[in-house]
Amino acid sequence: MTRLVEVPTQFDDRSFDQFAGAFAEATKDGERLLFDAHAAEWASPYGLVALLAAGQAAKRSGVAELPLLTAPTQADVLSYWARAGFFREATQLFEIHGRLPRGKPAEESDVLLPVTPVRAAEDVHEVVSKIQQRASAILASELQLDPRATMGFAMALSEACQNIVEHAGTGGWVAVQSYHWRRTLARRVVVIAVADAGVGFRHSLEPTQAKRFGDRWGDAAALEAALIQGVSRFRDPGRGQGLAGIRRYLARWEGKIAIRSGTARIAIVPSWDDDVPLKDGLPAFPGAQVLIIIPEQGSTAR
Amino acid sequence: MIQHIDVHAVLRESSSGVYTDLVTRPTGRVVRERISQVMAGAGGDGTGNGPTVARMDFSGVGCMDYSCADEIVAKLLREGVVLLLLWGISDAHREAIEPVLTGHGLAVLHERPDGTLDPLGSPAAAAELLEQLVAQRLAGRLPGGTFALIGS
Repeated sequence: MTRLVEVPTQFDDRSFDQFAGAFAEATKDGERLLFDAHAAEWASPYGLVALLAAGQAAKRSGVAELPLLTAPTQADVLSYWARAGFFREATQLFEIHGRLPRGKPAEESDVLLPVTPVRAAEDVHEVVSKIQQRASAILASELQLDPRATMGFAMALSEACQNIVEHAGTGGWVAVQSYHWRRTLARRVVVIAVADAGVGFRHSLEPTQAKRFGDRWGDAAALEAALIQGVSRFRDPGRGQGLAGIRRYLARWEGKIAIRSGTARIAIVPSWDDDVPLKDGLPAFPGAQVLIIIPEQGSTAR
Repeated sequence: MIQHIDVHAVLRESSSGVYTDLVTRPTGRVVRERISQVMAGAGGDGTGNGPTVARMDFSGVGCMDYSCADEIVAKLLREGVVLLLLWGISDAHREAIEPVLTGHGLAVLHERPDGTLDPLGSPAAAAELLEQLVAQRLAGRLPGGTFALIGS
């Protein structure tokens, strides 16, 4: 028997909980999964890397056959998913049904970094090198980021990717894109999306932090400890610099970060957004999913 | 004597010439270990007048992230055997290094092209560093209260 997981037609961080709920329900009895994206109309970089993480979790769930994925039927949607590098990674995780566009992901587009696997430190070097070559000019011209913000962007990206290498216990994916953020800002933004289906923040921090939190310990407490208090699973006093550095960078450029792990989601919410700082009791989803948004400068008071 | 360390060259050696960016903990660890070896090979300042003073030259280094700033600069300082002068750092390098040092009460000195020294990190630790450099007769106070290396 195959269990259906519907991919939301507009698949981004907001509709992710709906997807995670369907995923949690479908994985209860260990049957093969069918991810149905045929009706997809749009997916953000967050949606694409999260879908790969779901495929990763389904693949290693013990079901002998790969999970199924029906590709979007709309030509422009299909073209964008291909251009964003999604199918290059998805073919290793899913048995894909539908006609896929041929050719490699586009080099010249709003896709600043196509969906890229991150498994080891070398991958982080590759990502940082590519983003500096591809994105610096775009970040400066389209988002009016000054050169310090551009370099800081590479630093933030590096730290976000290292979270996978150091804590996930498995590989993950990163994607970077600039687009027009209609929802609350009506400005251009650049978005970093990172996702894995690894052990998640709670499991990673449990040995060193659970006792300190006592009854409060859970996914939400683990996210709070990591993002707000800057704690790390390592006892080395210099650890915890990564997320702290990202926070400083985002505070300076009015950016946003949201991290979802397990059943909780935490966000540092800038004045231009209407997100909530902490949500708990969400549908369980493996690993961690990180969203970072830097808005066009001049759009908000600094 | 001030020992000169070409960080970009160390990075290239450590990564078989592949990397120009100081990113990730593993890269930072390898680079720091190489720098420590170089310092140990040089045997300190040889005068017994205090810890080794090293000039770390970051010219040619691309991006540096917070993890590498901690793994290299902060850990060398935490090992407590060295006073660090940083040369050739960009504004972006500074943005990675400064908060990491401040958060741990550590400091280094940024050596500007004219030889003047600009403290980075904890003000108290930076003041102590300057005192030690003056005591070793490697730096002196300029009119106006700034410090500069002697003979630069």
